[in-house]
Amino acid sequence: MILVDKHTKVIVQGITGKMGAAHTKRMIEYGTNIVGGVTPGKGGEKMHGAPVFDTVKQAVEATEATCSVIFVPPYLALDAGCEALDAGISLLVLITEGIPPLDTAKLVAQVKAKGAKLIGPNCPGIITPGQSLIGILPGSIFKSGPVGMVSKSGTLTYEIALALTESGLGQSTCVGTGGDPIKGLDYQECLTMFENDPATEVIVMIGEIGGNAEEEAAAFIKKTIKKPVIGFIAGQTAPPGKRMGHAGAIISGGKGTAESKLEAFKANGVRVAMTPAEVAKQVADALKQPAKA
Amino acid sequence: MNLYEYEAKRIFAEGGINVPPSQRITKPEELAKVHLGYPLVLKCQVLAGGRGKAGGIKFPKTLKEGMALAKDMLQLSIKDSKTESLLVEPAMPIARELYLAVTLDRDRGCPIFIASAEGGIEIESSSNVLTEPIPHPYHPYVGRNLAQKLGLKGAVLNKVADIANKLYKIFESKDLDLAEINPLVITEGDDVVALDGKIIINDDAINRQPQFRGWEEAHLCDLSVRERDAKMSGLNLVELDGNIGILCNGAGLTMATMDMVKAFGGQPGNFLDAGGGSDQKKTLAALELVNDNPNVDVILLNILGGITACDEVAGALVEFMKKYPERAMIVRLRGNNQDIAEKMLAQSGLKLYPDLEEAVKEAVSRSKAGSSKKPVAAGKA
Repeated sequence: MILVDKHTKVIVQGITGKMGAAHTKRMIEYGTNIVGGVTPGKGGEKMHGAPVFDTVKQAVEATEATCSVIFVPPYLALDAGCEALDAGISLLVLITEGIPPLDTAKLVAQVKAKGAKLIGPNCPGIITPGQSLIGILPGSIFKSGPVGMVSKSGTLTYEIALALTESGLGQSTCVGTGGDPIKGLDYQECLTMFENDPATEVIVMIGEIGGNAEEEAAAFIKKTIKKPVIGFIAGQTAPPGKRMGHAGAIISGGKGTAESKLEAFKANGVRVAMTPAEVAKQVADALKQPAKA
Repeated sequence: MNLYEYEAKRIFAEGGINVPPSQRITKPEELAKVHLGYPLVLKCQVLAGGRGKAGGIKFPKTLKEGMALAKDMLQLSIKDSKTESLLVEPAMPIARELYLAVTLDRDRGCPIFIASAEGGIEIESSSNVLTEPIPHPYHPYVGRNLAQKLGLKGAVLNKVADIANKLYKIFESKDLDLAEINPLVITEGDDVVALDGKIIINDDAINRQPQFRGWEEAHLCDLSVRERDAKMSGLNLVELDGNIGILCNGAGLTMATMDMVKAFGGQPGNFLDAGGGSDQKKTLAALELVNDNPNVDVILLNILGGITACDEVAGALVEFMKKYPERAMIVRLRGNNQDIAEKMLAQSGLKLYPDLEEAVKEAVSRSKAGSSKKPVAAGKA
């Protein structure tokens, strides 16, 4: 597994909000080690048994949390992220959608300066099945096993995880890096962690139209990743110039097409799957013959 | 959200960037009241690019010529964008043109300056382009470095550096996706003036920019009526040419579902991402939007409930099927509260497909069977 396990101590920023409260309950039910939460002005209260603090600093001092999952509204996310970083949090999981990209850029600069890690924004979070679910993923469709997954998308990740799980193929860790153009953790960092993770035998990489992160990752895979990688790209039928839901999912100036990404995959030894069910088949094949030239 | 040139220039001027004196007209005869001296420049105010090539910029030498040109130009549509008005400016004595813009670079993860010593160009196809990452926090030396790299000297170096700094300040304070001056003109008297400009405001930031609140409706020219309705009700709709209407939750899953429809021989009619956590009301609004498209013969609904509760979706479906009992619907529904949803839908006679590929194949085959009887609202049938 990578990044999180059953020992990871997690706080929830925005724990008393509608989203924060509902998902705190589900994360605790899953077994995630939720040690507290933060809502300014509600310090001293409890949420599903977890203590609520006014500031992240207090929460970290009292609980020694290292990870924070953030559910605050978009225009408060930069402040919340910086508060977590300054309190010593080393892994931020930012679920919020609709954060102005300049705010994200400023947060990413701070994350780098502190040597911390950011998952998101506009992401479903991360799950190490059977150990820790941090975010909004539906825990029941994941199971523990040898497949590492990294994806820009939420529900598409669930679709593919479901196909894997129903084929008896469990997952080591699944990371949803988010659908925004500017974000924290990228493919390369996740691929490197999966490469170094003994529990991961095969990597599934899920991309979509927009930008050229998939093309860069494909070149990176050829150079440095020995484990088999299965690639999937959403958006082959997307028209150019239209934002397809995610802020980052747009073909602009002829760049960021699915064809370009699929070609980069094929040229660099990434095994391409065209449907979620085919991802599961390719993973099963790769597990039988894992060696890569 | 794209702004018109005159709106962009107003924002540049508020930020301390030199723009030419100007007046705006919406009728040819208003040109008689313009006192800027001839020759003038008339410019169509449209939201599309490629204006010069399309005849949207003219240089009349007299009032009579100007009025004749204005009459035609006010009727002009450029790439489906109607001319909103004409911006009238005096023609400038130009010594040199530059290009200067600030935008967000998704690969570097930060804002950048894009600059060129050649102005008036199409920046995407130019090779003589400089990009400069913008550090956070910002310092004015960044603008001076940029002006120096452009090969400028003396008073002009300082003036361009000052404009770069002001442009970044505008970009940051107004939450822009793009602030572009093209061309940035150096006059024969060494004045530096923004001759044309483009501003794109970030859609996610509009609600914290009180100046732009309520502007969206007047600036959504490239959307269909239904796409506009969807945007106003918080849904993401992109319409295509096919006859299979698609409704999913989540952008990636929606795109993947469209791709599968195509791969199995069908034609997607739209992309509609109802988003995470949509309730009954929002799901019903989404169904109505897909249903409303006259090209659509079959609706394929694919919901994988993470934060979306299946029973909320089922509630919307039951209501929708009461209203449109003839509509060909293929439903794939999995996730939270799936069991409750199944019970609700069993009574309505709607078949559920647990497997995505089977659902897609069925939708494609129905779309070819010509099940294109227009559904009629219950009661009218």
